[in-house]
Amino acid sequence: MFLSGVRVMETEEVVDGCFSLLLEGKNIAVNAYPGQFIHMRIADNLLPFLRRPFSLAETFPEEGLFRIIFRLIGAGTKILSRVRRGDVLDCLGPLGTGFKPCEDLRLSILVGGGIGVAPLLFLAKKLQEKGNKVIMYYGASQSADLIPVHQFLPPGVEINLATEDGSSGFPGFVTDLFQTHLQNGLLPEEIFACGPRLMLQKLAEVHRNKKIPMQFSLEEMMACGIGACLGCSVEMQRGENETVFKRVCRDGPVFKSCEVVW
Amino acid sequence: MADLRVKLGPLELQTPFMAASGTFGFGEEYASLLDLQKLGALVVKGLTLRPRKGNPPPRIVETPAGMLNAIGLQNPGLDVFLSRELPRLKKSGTAVIVNIAGDTEEEYVTLARELSRAGNGVLALELNVSCPNVKKGGILFGTSPSILASLVEKVRPVCTLPLIVKLTPNVTDITEAARAAESSGADILSLVNTFLGMVIDVASRRPFLANETGGLSGPAIRPLAVRMVYDVYAAVKIPLIGMGGILTLEDSLQFFMAGAAAVAIGSANFPDPLTIPRLTGELNKYMKKEGIDSLEEIIGAAHQNTV
Ligand SMILES: Cc1cc2nc3c(=O)[nH]c(=O)nc-3n(C[C@H](O)[C@H](O)[C@H](O)COP(=O)(O)OP(=O)(O)OC[C@H]3O[C@@H](n4cnc5c(N)ncnc54)[C@H](O)[C@@H]3O)c2cc1C
Ligand SMILES: Cc1cc2nc3c(=O)[nH]c(=O)nc-3n(C[C@H](O)[C@H](O)[C@H](O)COP(=O)(O)O)c2cc1C
Ligand code: FES
Repeated sequence: MFLSGVRVMETEEVVDGCFSLLLEGKNIAVNAYPGQFIHMRIADNLLPFLRRPFSLAETFPEEGLFRIIFRLIGAGTKILSRVRRGDVLDCLGPLGTGFKPCEDLRLSILVGGGIGVAPLLFLAKKLQEKGNKVIMYYGASQSADLIPVHQFLPPGVEINLATEDGSSGFPGFVTDLFQTHLQNGLLPEEIFACGPRLMLQKLAEVHRNKKIPMQFSLEEMMACGIGACLGCSVEMQRGENETVFKRVCRDGPVFKSCEVVW
Repeated sequence: MADLRVKLGPLELQTPFMAASGTFGFGEEYASLLDLQKLGALVVKGLTLRPRKGNPPPRIVETPAGMLNAIGLQNPGLDVFLSRELPRLKKSGTAVIVNIAGDTEEEYVTLARELSRAGNGVLALELNVSCPNVKKGGILFGTSPSILASLVEKVRPVCTLPLIVKLTPNVTDITEAARAAESSGADILSLVNTFLGMVIDVASRRPFLANETGGLSGPAIRPLAVRMVYDVYAAVKIPLIGMGGILTLEDSLQFFMAGAAAVAIGSANFPDPLTIPRLTGELNKYMKKEGIDSLEEIIGAAHQNTV
């Protein structure tokens, strides 16, 4: 974990209301692995007061660069969408426990909903480098919201798109698209997912029926981002009858789907 | 280096900047960002006799210049603290102050007795009688001067360490509680804990926090906290630890001048984990520039300079 100033190298509005920032920060670029995140200070003054967490969407360790992709939500992301090349941002990271793919994996399935696709881009790249076949399912509410994911993915990753209004790709939820592929004989070894809670919950049902191991990246409100304040705790199963609270920022954000209490 | 040491009755600190309870955990996480030895003291997360699971999420929400929290005193309990956290903290060389909370007087007494045992390296105890999150206990002890006095009287004889009583601001007159704690044996008072607040999620038309209410902290509460330190300083003789929204050196100076002999930094650690080392350096420079030899010269200064 490092606290450092990172320089903005490149900004791009990849689709309406969705931005990519390429940042220079050697420590983060070299040490991060997929599923980890950074905690970004937005302003020196008090508005907004807290840092904002963003997943690492890509790293270039040799060049000391990394990328985040974010959607405009409120005050913090608004300020962040206006930074310029050369600006220096106060950044804490890499943070958290990310995806831990099984070593002898050959076929990986990635399921992303909305901006939740960001950490999966990083994961897809890493898995492909290790010789995995990667199939990505990516859904958004409408065509205009779809991030051009191919732009951030190596060739060879299979991309399956879904939109709820049917304006692009499969009409409906990304989980429904995934289900039809399962019914048509797709045999996933392990599934990695990030997106709205409802999407993850639907996937967890698949798990219950098919016993496919799954790793989910969760979100929760964060203050410290490093595990000290216990503000980001979520309920997790421990054994049959007991639950405990685990910290999204340190024990997660990636958890085994069978642990999550819905 | 100016002399930053401060003496609060029986408690001596290397610098007047402490990490406030609940914002620094047990120090483990911050240890990779800063040298824990350089803290005036680390007040650990509120400790209870038995482990506490804490409240369901969401537990926090950002507010203008601050935040609400309703952690619900999640902690591993006394046994795990003594066997796992305390030895590690001791090794780091940090001055450890333990913040304790209970549902009953007996729980406070047991905690105070166990933590006072010689050789375990705890510097002082802070009685959390003001945590607004746990429905039983917490709020009751701190909001009624007589219940507070009875609690402090019971804890005092078993507590061989300096005893700090942390006051809640959620009362009409904080000086009543301050006097009650002083007269029943507190060595030091710390103030303030968080102010009870609420955020409503208008989309779902429900309170945002699962606990419904939470404690407000951060710069938003600073003027309220400064006023309370100022009033309590005039009402009691024992030393005070001030806190509430400190972010900058000037904020800390306001608390010193209102009457605090030391200050604690809470929420500011979240946007800037290096707040305490930064303030320590800045105070050193300030004292040199102003020709101040000891912080005592400015503690309570605002009381002498009123018109
Ligand atoms: C581990 C993690 C990784 C994330 N990765 C990304 C990413 O790669 N790209 C992206 O666009 N977004 C990501 N998010 C969500 C992102 O942090 C929020 O969208 C952002 O904080 C909103 O800030 P704001 O000031 O614009 O919105 P506001 O709604 O004004 O923020 C108010 C408060 O709520 C918090 N908040 C709002 N939405 C969320 C959320 N979904 N999760 C957690 N806290 C939230 C903010 O941090 C802030 O404290 C991630 C969240 C987490 C927890
Ligand atoms: C996330 C969080 C957890 C806290 N937990 C405790 C606690 O366990 N015991 C306690 O006495 N105070 C607790 N507090 C209160 C702080 O110690 C401090 O009194 C308060 O936040 C005001 O200071 P600040 O504005 O600098 O944060 C907590 C505060 C926050 C923000
Ligand atoms: S945000 Fe503080 S513990 Fe996770």
